[in-house]
Amino acid sequence: MPDAAALQGKSRSGEAQASSSASSSLADPRRASRLVLAVFLGPGLLVYGGLTAYPAFRTIYDSFFTIEGMDATFVGLANYRDLMGDETFWIAVRNTFIWSFVAPVLDVATGLLLALALYAGVPFARFLRVAWFTPVLLSYVVVAILWMWIYNYDWGMLNVLLRTVGLDALASSWLGDPKLALASLIVTHAWKWAGFNMVVCLAAIHSLPKEVLEAADLDNCGWGAKLRFIIIPMLRPTLLSLYILAFIGKMKIFDLVWIMTQGGPLWATETVSTYVYKRAFNWNTFDLGYPSAIATVWFLVVCASVIILNRVLGSRERLEY
Amino acid sequence: MATIAAREGPAPLPRLFGRGMLALVLGVYTVYTLGPFLWLATMSVRTTAEISADHYAWPKPFHWEQFRSAWVDSDFATYFWNSTLVVVGAVAVVTLIGAGAAHALARYRFRGNRLIYGILFSSIIFPPQITLISLYQILVDYNLYNSLLGLSLVYISLQLPLTVYLLEGFFARIPQDLFDAAKIDGYGDLEIFWRIVLPVGMPAIATTLILNFIQLWNEFLFAVVLITDPDKRTLPIGIRAFMGDHFQDIGMIATGVMISVIPVIIAYVFFSEKLIRGMTAGAIK
Amino acid sequence: MAVVKLDRIVKRYGGGGPTVVENVDLTVNDGEFMVLLGPSGCGKSTTLRMIAGLETISGGTLSIDGRVVNDVPAKDRDIAMVFQSYALYPHMSVAENLAFGLRRRSLPGAEIDRRVAQVADILGLAPLLARRPSALSGGQRQRVALGRAMVREPQVFLFDEPLSNLDAALRVNTRSEIIKQHHRLGSTMIYVTHDQVEAMTMGTRICVMNAGRVAQIGAPLDVYWQPANTFVARFLGSPPMNLMAASLAAESRRAASPALDAPLSRWTDAVLGSYDGRTVTLGVRAEDMMIDAAAMEGQPYGTVRGRTIAVEPLGAETLLLVELESGGEITARLPRHVVAAPEQKVELFFRADAAYLFDANSGNAIASHESGAAAIRAAVQRRTH
Repeated sequence: MPDAAALQGKSRSGEAQASSSASSSLADPRRASRLVLAVFLGPGLLVYGGLTAYPAFRTIYDSFFTIEGMDATFVGLANYRDLMGDETFWIAVRNTFIWSFVAPVLDVATGLLLALALYAGVPFARFLRVAWFTPVLLSYVVVAILWMWIYNYDWGMLNVLLRTVGLDALASSWLGDPKLALASLIVTHAWKWAGFNMVVCLAAIHSLPKEVLEAADLDNCGWGAKLRFIIIPMLRPTLLSLYILAFIGKMKIFDLVWIMTQGGPLWATETVSTYVYKRAFNWNTFDLGYPSAIATVWFLVVCASVIILNRVLGSRERLEY
Repeated sequence: MATIAAREGPAPLPRLFGRGMLALVLGVYTVYTLGPFLWLATMSVRTTAEISADHYAWPKPFHWEQFRSAWVDSDFATYFWNSTLVVVGAVAVVTLIGAGAAHALARYRFRGNRLIYGILFSSIIFPPQITLISLYQILVDYNLYNSLLGLSLVYISLQLPLTVYLLEGFFARIPQDLFDAAKIDGYGDLEIFWRIVLPVGMPAIATTLILNFIQLWNEFLFAVVLITDPDKRTLPIGIRAFMGDHFQDIGMIATGVMISVIPVIIAYVFFSEKLIRGMTAGAIK
Repeated sequence: MAVVKLDRIVKRYGGGGPTVVENVDLTVNDGEFMVLLGPSGCGKSTTLRMIAGLETISGGTLSIDGRVVNDVPAKDRDIAMVFQSYALYPHMSVAENLAFGLRRRSLPGAEIDRRVAQVADILGLAPLLARRPSALSGGQRQRVALGRAMVREPQVFLFDEPLSNLDAALRVNTRSEIIKQHHRLGSTMIYVTHDQVEAMTMGTRICVMNAGRVAQIGAPLDVYWQPANTFVARFLGSPPMNLMAASLAAESRRAASPALDAPLSRWTDAVLGSYDGRTVTLGVRAEDMMIDAAAMEGQPYGTVRGRTIAVEPLGAETLLLVELESGGEITARLPRHVVAAPEQKVELFFRADAAYLFDANSGNAIASHESGAAAIRAAVQRRTH
């Protein structure tokens, strides 16, 4: 009897001990103490708060001011009014939109076609996959320099090739002609990213259930029919998410444009990012308020576009298989 | 008799195009992709005079000394070093911080969990300009402008949302049973993170590491705004400056660009699969 | 006439790879329900896929309806297949799934609609036509897969373990659905499974396969009562047939071992003579093991002695696991009133004519002087009278 009582007393005090040492003995393993959460989330939230959220708010705040050096003068919506009338801005927006809506189609289509070619079982498929992915790893600076040389009027690869096959008339100043510059940049950009889309599409195709494709075989589907009725519809979620990814990337584009054309010639390749950069860091009148306004407007446009795109294109039903 | 025997594995090649046509198209595309490289490589071992004479000739002789002079003349050592410091530091820190945050978001139930995740996730689409101008001002205010430390901090903030997004997805798939068992064994939360989540999550952490590394190694916009001191240039701006300095000296520029590309190529030769997987992480569901 | 004939079919994977199917000779008659039965990896699925055209044939000839189809693409063989994972097109509705193959074959729209409606009616899919596969249960999905094959009205139906992904109750339902359709259509059907219950209940004939080769072909009960080798003997029947090593004495017409003693009534002297003094494998089914010698009813019987290891009272019957004095384990299926305890010495009895003999080296059955359907009937009558 004394033993039982002693045992009982011991276990009860053990319990009391357990409940007082908070973190490591909470009943539900999916709950953590404030301290633990702070340790895990704290640094991240700190970094985010200080270097992303705060600067973002500050930029929005700044857009209502004219800021020259240390002086900040409140100007209300003046910057925005100026922006509406700013022709260069609208040209930049137009260019960026063309890039963002049109180029991803090229990117995703190329990626899909390349992936299909590899899937069909070409020899050296493994080597080709690795080779075609290479430009993705290169820095934009390298890509820009290479393509500036390719586009060179006198001795660039493109013109030399055209001249060699007798198409002299087509040899142009690819980066110097306002009508061609944007398209040229788009091609360069696509060159860099095709491999990325190809790898993602290839992985998606490989993950299609084999038996469904065999069923299609038995249903009298040749290659074309299989592609059209089975493979592409089943890849829709992947293709759409690649499109949106490409879209977001091109809305932000800066590096390539800056190095190759700086937005020229005559603003043919001016994008919103290059314009903001110029107004903030290159302009003679060193006013940070105006570019902040541009940045704010653009921020809202990008967010809205992504949300709208997701609604419009987003998979209406999850393709479960 | 045009019958095609059934094959195991992917369907046979389309009859319409035939192997010849397909091979041609693939060959052309491969030339299109790798051609510029080859050209760059040949130009990097020729002098500008030789290049101006004929842009497409095979190098004869191979001017290997150009590499030495490019390296010595132009501070490439400094650029490499700066890039290494900034990028390695940023990647290490962002991976650790991101993993911690991802773990908390994936594993624990608390009010505001989905809200915090949503906020972090949505900032992936933010155009850099929204933070660029203010970050510039902030760094100036805190005397971190034109410093590698400042750039590193900014880089950490740039990659944090993506890191959290990628790792949260992976961590959430780790079965709860592992944690319950660990709790029963008496492990504390921090220990569980260190001993269980990090080792088990290593594949995802590795791919995130690679993705972050490559994106930051090639990062240009913030570097160009936040660094003006030639001594502190990272590699991308270094190359650009090099190009500016040697404006018409194509041979030199080619050599310089080649120098910056070689480490990437070497890493790629040995780790192509890991690099590919890393770079496409997040896009492949 | 949809006769499917496999003549010395071989499947070898390229570059000196393994041979997974070797020398399969099989003729499936018109309207027959042929079950390919065997454990995982025995080559039954590969064989089916070769018939379908989803795998190339490395050797031998495959003919459907008299026509050699080795090099004919799958879609031109006039066959339809029901896959284990259903393989429905996830982005199409049920109606579109059913109609797809017909559309691809350019059937007139009215005909397509008629067939789809008819099959949907037969299989009870009419209320589900607008749904996507993801909104269907497993059983419903499998019925759609069956329907997709039926609308094609093919010469031959192929089934690749279609019930494996279903739970037990659904399995029974879908099984009877398939049998029903077979009776209705009378088409040739070839069905792959590893489940002997499916094989026994569904097949007109079964083809038991092991390690890429055909072990035995025959009607289910024929194969059950007259297994051609130890593999088939143990594969059919649950619990598996007991196999015991024994030494054969031709003079006394007995097989014996330290734990076992059995008279051999069903073999000729000549056959016994050729095995005199050698070790043979004696086979007795679990249900033929009795604990009560009186059940032998005066017929010659064999005895086996051992020690009980485990007793499994299942309610309707009791299973007894016994370790023989000479090593090895056997199982006995005893009536439910039998009471036993582990670690008990026990003696089991079996009628002499319930015993099988197999060659100890090759595993092949040693033919008794009875064979064929008549013998089977006689054997059954003897056991159950």
